[in-house]
Amino acid sequence: MKPEPRPGRRVTEVVVLTTAMLSFISFGRAAAIVLCDMASTAWYIGGIVETAVGPAAPWFILAVLLCAAPFLAMYVEGSAMFVRGGVYKVVSKAMGGMLAKVSVSALMFAYALTGAISAVSAGQYLSGLVNSMFPRLGIHWSVDPRVFSVLCALCIVAYFWRQNIRGIEESSDEAVRIMSLVSVMAVVIFIWAGVTIYLRGFRWPATAPTFTHESLGWFPPGWLGKLGLLVAFGHAFLGLSGLETLAQVYREMEAPKLKNLKRAAAAIFFFALLLTGTVSFLAVGLIPDDVRHTYADNLLSGLAMSMAGPHWALLILQTFVVLVGVMILSGAVNTSILGSNGVMNRLSEDGILPEKLRHLHPRYGTTHRMIHVVVAIQVLTIILCRGDVYVLGEAYAFGIIWSFAFNAAAVLVLRFKDRSKREFKVPGNVGFLGREWPVGLAAMFLILLSVGLVNLLTKKIATVSGLAFTAFFFALFSISERLSRRARAHAHDEHREKFNLRSANDLAIMRDEIERPNRVLVAVRDPGNLYHLNKTLETHDAETTDLVVFTSRIRKGLGLVDETVAMDHDEEKLFTRVIEAAEKHGKHVTPMLVVSNEPFYAITQAAQAVGATEVVFGISAKLSTDTQLERLAMTWGSLQKDKQPVRFRILGPGVEHAVDL
Amino acid sequence: MSWFQKKPSEPAAEAPKTTPPPRAGKGLKVSSILTVETVLFPSEGHDKAAVLQSLAAAVCGKAGIADWAAFLAKVQEREQGISTTLDTGLSLPHARMDGIPGILAGMAVLKKPIPDPKQPDLSIRVMFLFFSPNKQEAFPMHLQLLRGVSSLFQPALIDQLTASSGPAAALELIKKLEA
Repeated sequence: MKPEPRPGRRVTEVVVLTTAMLSFISFGRAAAIVLCDMASTAWYIGGIVETAVGPAAPWFILAVLLCAAPFLAMYVEGSAMFVRGGVYKVVSKAMGGMLAKVSVSALMFAYALTGAISAVSAGQYLSGLVNSMFPRLGIHWSVDPRVFSVLCALCIVAYFWRQNIRGIEESSDEAVRIMSLVSVMAVVIFIWAGVTIYLRGFRWPATAPTFTHESLGWFPPGWLGKLGLLVAFGHAFLGLSGLETLAQVYREMEAPKLKNLKRAAAAIFFFALLLTGTVSFLAVGLIPDDVRHTYADNLLSGLAMSMAGPHWALLILQTFVVLVGVMILSGAVNTSILGSNGVMNRLSEDGILPEKLRHLHPRYGTTHRMIHVVVAIQVLTIILCRGDVYVLGEAYAFGIIWSFAFNAAAVLVLRFKDRSKREFKVPGNVGFLGREWPVGLAAMFLILLSVGLVNLLTKKIATVSGLAFTAFFFALFSISERLSRRARAHAHDEHREKFNLRSANDLAIMRDEIERPNRVLVAVRDPGNLYHLNKTLETHDAETTDLVVFTSRIRKGLGLVDETVAMDHDEEKLFTRVIEAAEKHGKHVTPMLVVSNEPFYAITQAAQAVGATEVVFGISAKLSTDTQLERLAMTWGSLQKDKQPVRFRILGPGVEHAVDL
Repeated sequence: MSWFQKKPSEPAAEAPKTTPPPRAGKGLKVSSILTVETVLFPSEGHDKAAVLQSLAAAVCGKAGIADWAAFLAKVQEREQGISTTLDTGLSLPHARMDGIPGILAGMAVLKKPIPDPKQPDLSIRVMFLFFSPNKQEAFPMHLQLLRGVSSLFQPALIDQLTASSGPAAALELIKKLEA
């Protein structure tokens, strides 16, 4: 397969480029990643919300979960507009950098607490299991739930720290395995609960919330009235944790991207509604009132132990519930690391955070420095909370609600500011006076704003810690932005992808990159002329065909000998556009740069080295298509060592030429 | 004029992706378009332009075309563009002409290599000149001939040709290789 370059025309260096997260995942994997966070709330939301609003908690959890549908639609609309999207990007485009920094600071608060609460809650479940098992095993010793949960939480964070350094494909494998187990557990619980209800009956929870002094915070009791519903709704809002991660993993979602995003959103909605909604009702309906408070931090253990059946069977069920819970809560830690990493990447791409933070891991190509920062924040939060799940739960709704509110406002503003055609719109649009009015979005924003304002008064811990954290991060981002912009002013202004370069002086290096039976090589040169690449990506079958995106650096004489493999700014810009195109279509590409002294020989040698059956070009500004093809036919024949047929295609706007040789 | 079939209304998905491309140069043997009259062994001292002129005259003379200067002008115009010399030592000047029914070709074997003025680091050892009909449907054949000739004239054959005794022997070598 490797052509033997003759002394006259040759490829002297071959560089294969890899970048962070250039592997794409299915909608199922994306849904599993988000659900590891969102569905994991089932293990702690019941206890936290009941502590705040009393036995009516399940109704408000249900209401919040039903609201996930329009909120997911809001994320789908935002993601369809910006592949590398999320709150920061959407708010930044709609309302400017300052509000974007505020919104992302609130979001970072939510992510820091998501990881912490999930990890600590997993520890609480484990300590509950240990303490109920030890006496049965004749061990008269118990663990301190808080100390134990903090230690467990640190171990979980350390594990997912390592996994995220290794990359998203690895971590999404874990998420899928976890969600499969959660599904099995849900089926077991539902069937067992059905039998229990048949034998003992079921008590529906009360509908009216009952507030404590703590759950009202600064909210004047005299204002309760109808606002009581909003107060209770606000306390259950942590049930929507993890939705932002959907926007963050959209970049890595495989084709067809938008369809897969909608599928993922639907899967997330129904799974979370079914699991979290149902177990919240079952917990209140089946666990006796007098013992339920003892399971406030591990409510599903209480549910398992309150089922009908012999004690030993209930212990087995509790063990199963706890182990699955530990896994999904650990998965939520993974999701929070992944989501935070995505958000920080957007900030760095936009010049808010220093470029150095986006340095790629030499082996795995992940933005490892950002992952270190995220993990450090989570570890600090875990240590500071000292194992108190309620405090964490109360606090972290702040980040969720305000990042949602900003997102809704931004998507709403963009409807007026950017009237370009949308691939998807949040439903509820009314035509009036010749214009379309996004009534659904507006209503969503008003609800979120109301809940956010009410929460400011009711959730003292959230308001104080959330505002402090947000202010701290806002200041940090602002200072960092100034420093980064100053540094960038000397280099270049626009975002450049970070690449790991693997170089060799032999095209055989490409064999390591080829996995599929068919290969197509797309030659690129001008970042402003990637029409042919986009057209190829549209119809490219990523399952059966490797797509090699190729450019050559032409050097003559001694320049060829002394050439270094580091990419220059033009090449970085070109491959940044290539990666963006690949992300937009959700299809994997293998970027490749060669140093040669003749462009057509370089293309031919590369195409023959990878065994390409098709070579695609754009319309050239310098050469006619006929001349391009004539020269390519000559070099192809001159270098061809086998009988492999090839198709040359030239694609341009409104033009498609193909010839088989 | 373009040889291509323009398909602006068809989406790229419908491109004949799965059709197996035909073998390059299938059905067209280089030996079948050359004759002893169109294979030259120019004497030493000729430069590229002179060899090209002799070849154009020979090819047109064999085809009964009186205005060979027009053919030479066309191929010289093409030579002003991107190089047609390969690092195997083969120079492959070509042009698409109106009014000819098929391929017209000739070959010059240079016992002593001559430099290519456009690419001083490359030497020409064999020059293969051809004209093809300037028709859309003939362009794939034009490209296949470019690929086929480039593929055929590898350094080993070029060595044999330059060592051969004359046009008939050179043609015999090519026929043998294509058999």
